[in-house]
Amino acid sequence: MKNKSQFIILLLALFLLSIPTFSQQEVVLTIKEGVPAISIALPSFILDSSSPEVKQAAETIHEVLKADLNYSRIFQLVPQEHLNYIRPLNPKEIFFKDWDSIQARILVAGEVSQSQNKIIFEAKVYDIKSERMILGKRFQADPEVFRLVAHRLADELLKLFGEKPFFTTKIVFVSNRDGNDELYMMDYDGANQTRLTFNKWRDYMPAWSPDQRAIVFTSYRAGNPDLYILYPYKGKMVPVSTKGTNFSGAFSPDGKKLAFCSTRDGNAEIYVANADGTNIRRITFNSAIDTAPSWSPTGREIAFTSDRTGSPQIYIMDSEGGNVRKVSFGGDYLDSPAWSPDGERIAFVSRVNNFFDIYILNLKTNQITKLTETNARNESPSWSLDGRHLVFSSNLSGSIQIYSIDYDGTNLRCLTSKGENKLPNWTN
Amino acid sequence: MKKFLVFSLSLLLALTFIASCKKKVKEVPPPPPPQAQEQPKVEKVEAPVVKEPVLTEEEIFQKKTLEEINQEKPLAMIFFDYDKYNIRPDAVPVLETNAQWLKAHPTVKILIEGHCDERGTEEYNLALGERRAKATMEYLVSLGIPAERMKIISYGKSQPLDPGHDEAAWAKNRRAQFLIIEK
Repeated sequence: MKNKSQFIILLLALFLLSIPTFSQQEVVLTIKEGVPAISIALPSFILDSSSPEVKQAAETIHEVLKADLNYSRIFQLVPQEHLNYIRPLNPKEIFFKDWDSIQARILVAGEVSQSQNKIIFEAKVYDIKSERMILGKRFQADPEVFRLVAHRLADELLKLFGEKPFFTTKIVFVSNRDGNDELYMMDYDGANQTRLTFNKWRDYMPAWSPDQRAIVFTSYRAGNPDLYILYPYKGKMVPVSTKGTNFSGAFSPDGKKLAFCSTRDGNAEIYVANADGTNIRRITFNSAIDTAPSWSPTGREIAFTSDRTGSPQIYIMDSEGGNVRKVSFGGDYLDSPAWSPDGERIAFVSRVNNFFDIYILNLKTNQITKLTETNARNESPSWSLDGRHLVFSSNLSGSIQIYSIDYDGTNLRCLTSKGENKLPNWTN
Repeated sequence: MKKFLVFSLSLLLALTFIASCKKKVKEVPPPPPPQAQEQPKVEKVEAPVVKEPVLTEEEIFQKKTLEEINQEKPLAMIFFDYDKYNIRPDAVPVLETNAQWLKAHPTVKILIEGHCDERGTEEYNLALGERRAKATMEYLVSLGIPAERMKIISYGKSQPLDPGHDEAAWAKNRRAQFLIIEK
């Protein structure tokens, strides 16, 4: 009898031990945003000649546009085989009933032609139900920008449906592929990886301005981790803060201000400056480490990391530094907050049992969902402009690479492969 | 007496005469001069060598480049606990030895680098690395090294000493190390 009760107590103890403390706050990921996908038909483009240039342009633009629409999460492509059930596309006369019969809501009709060695791509977008053309675009392009042509049209389609265009946005990141950590940028899909800085010192933690014309970053080029603003299309660079350790720069969503972390006064505090780096003022006053500022989309608040309670946690304060409150719970090492463009969510990194995963805190429901499940080190989340995708770095494959993932944890893609690649920043 | 003197003198004269006569008899002709032409004497050319005096330790130190001094690692690194930046008891004797060396070389200026292991985020580790460097500097100040002789820098987790992914590697990577930047 005594043995039996001891056995039950032992079982109970084992059961209690087996419940990880953090899992109590986790919920199973079931977000399905209630936007029914828009059915879109993308038949092969009409070619005005059989020249190889025209053929290559048509193939590239069609393929990239298809990939963009598939990635969007708001469009759903009509399956290719359904197009065989109806008459082929005739740009002179659109048979709307045909397209309606295969449940297309939108039709994209493209024509590729060549005039004086220039490729012309013309796209007409039709609304099937109203039998009207709702968008017409004509692009002239050289082969090296065929992908950009497709992204430009995809952006136009997003705008038609009230979405924020992000296919032409770039991801800035850090890579050691050429020897040491330097800044690079790439398209959202990993294409066109371009080096931005050229020196033998570490360049680090880049972040875009909202118009993607300026990058704030940390560089050791002067022998100290200093904060600079790089204007990659002007070939210009200006120092911002050069005393102490200066990092975690973040432009405000209106592009007028710059928040960053610095130890210029002795301790890691958050500072705000004008977007050109002038007029630096301190907004946190605490003996703890305050770092990783991320602006709310309105620019009125800043999320940040602080270890003022003993371990790094996520806090929110007004953009002038007042009204500080802790918003994270249930972990003992949280960092890298990234405020979503819709303002409702904050993505962050949490360390649990030496695994680093990305979690999303919903500020409305106060629920935390786990975005990555890879038993790896997943870090530095950054949102797409439309808030449906994120990029982050992970050592999932053994080396650190940049991945993109959708807001609901689906569609994990690796975007980089040369060297080690980290600290991606897409938007603020 | 006079007789004796005359006698011995004459005896001496007589003996001298006999000896000279004897020599003449035994005389042999000198050897013929050598046929070959005489070689010039070899002269060994040597510049005068300055003998170096025995250098003092300080003089030896001043002769070395910063690179050579740093390669010798005169200042041992110290290690930290996970997520911590306090000076561990095992680091105290290391810092005391380092402080003695710094006192023996009063012109030396150093850079204290704070490093972290990979089990932290980029941002937080950069701040933590600086705290480790700062704690190290403050300890050396408490041992009498002026703060003006020291600079600090944080590399976060970007420069691991051991590229491994286990506790042994992490323990080595959570460190403060010293670079001599001026002598």
